[in-house]
Amino acid sequence: MIVIGEKINGTRKQVSSAITNRNADFIRDLALRQFQGGASYLDVNAGSLPEREPEDMAWLVQTIQEAVPDATLCLDSPNHEALRTGIEKANKTPMLNSLSGEKFRIDGVLPLACKFGTELIVLPLDENGIPRNSDGRLGIVRRLVEMTRSGGLPDEKLYIDPLVMAISTGTDNGNITLESCRKIKEEFPKVHLTCGLSNISFGMPLRSILNQAFLVLAIQAGMDSAIVNPEERELRGILMAAETVLGKDRHCLNFNRAFRAGKIGPRRD
Amino acid sequence: MQDLVNAVAEMMEDEAMALTKKYVEKGVPAVQIIDAYKEALRIIGKRFEECTYFVPELILAGEMMKAASELIRPIMTDSASNAGTQKIGKLLLGTVEGDIHDIGKDMVHMLMDINGFEVLDLGVDVPAQRFWDEYTKFQPDIIGMSGLLTLAFESMRRVVDLLKDKGARDKVKVIIGGGQMDEQACKYVGADAFVTDAVAGVNICKGWVA
Repeated sequence: MIVIGEKINGTRKQVSSAITNRNADFIRDLALRQFQGGASYLDVNAGSLPEREPEDMAWLVQTIQEAVPDATLCLDSPNHEALRTGIEKANKTPMLNSLSGEKFRIDGVLPLACKFGTELIVLPLDENGIPRNSDGRLGIVRRLVEMTRSGGLPDEKLYIDPLVMAISTGTDNGNITLESCRKIKEEFPKVHLTCGLSNISFGMPLRSILNQAFLVLAIQAGMDSAIVNPEERELRGILMAAETVLGKDRHCLNFNRAFRAGKIGPRRD
Repeated sequence: MQDLVNAVAEMMEDEAMALTKKYVEKGVPAVQIIDAYKEALRIIGKRFEECTYFVPELILAGEMMKAASELIRPIMTDSASNAGTQKIGKLLLGTVEGDIHDIGKDMVHMLMDINGFEVLDLGVDVPAQRFWDEYTKFQPDIIGMSGLLTLAFESMRRVVDLLKDKGARDKVKVIIGGGQMDEQACKYVGADAFVTDAVAGVNICKGWVA
């Protein structure tokens, strides 16, 4: 499972003020904690106004790299100039978040991904919004994969996010996502599947157990990456347990290693 | 009609519908039935604010209200229909350009509807110009802009700037809503109020038109 740490996001107040005040210690600490929590990828979202964003993105990329040179950055912005600045500052080829069927993303993000050969998160939505069923989402994925292929980007570099909608607003929203996972994976077996997991529990109490239940089901449906808070210890345990019982962990080595390292299960203080 | 109020407030959908039917058949005036629903919705809104109810309960409440209005319609007299459907204000609503989050907006739509507002919902990713065009046609009392991303601040500000340019800013109240909204954003955008949840937004709007 490829865990993408979600916490360096300028739409969160503390992060936003750390960016504005150039509080490097705060950002470095956030990066390091997520990396140690198992996130090999770190989402980087400056969340700032367009004219400031490239500059903020450059500062974030440099600051995070100093703290965790081994992490891969996942540059998260609708602004292609911010993405380009981030790519240029990054020591390791970053992932881009994201391409969708919207014209400005096709025009802005796709050429960058192809030119720099980045990994790329792909969202099945377009100017008409998010399709309400899995076939609609698959249709947009088809169209976008055709474009990435003709741009020379191999399917292995794609992380398709089937889009998770809140279960509180539609009883079938979970099933639509899971069905989309299966259909996408069947048609494009080499792509990765990722998702912003916590959307499922928006508007609900006890969000963490809902997230955990959904993660298990998503893994069964082919999800091999997730954008989460890697510091949630319980989620990490559930994630590894699900992979193990689904036969994705040879000789259960990852699970047992994580146990020995004290990374899952009850804390041993 | 406390039993109907309770059934709706306690999310007992079948019972609420059966009771509504029963009262309609017994010849209870429509206004009284509508009042029972309003009381139930007041309770539901309060529970939402107290975090014992959540988004699904609000949505189900909206559905019950809709189903009930179908049952009541045949017995609506003129005076009842005035009492039940007379609008207390007009709201122009939309998620701003660059943002497609619609949960909060849709909840505001439903709740404002129930609370007697006439709502024109422009959907998501709505450009400033479209807010203006619809404003001139619809002549709302309030413009409600929704957005979850900080990117939305910029789009919201464009709408307010356009209102100013056209000399219409003081003719309409502007409220912004979304998880990231705060005093600073409200100031930047030039809105009259900000809220971070739908129920709070409805309360503010009701205050404005009262």
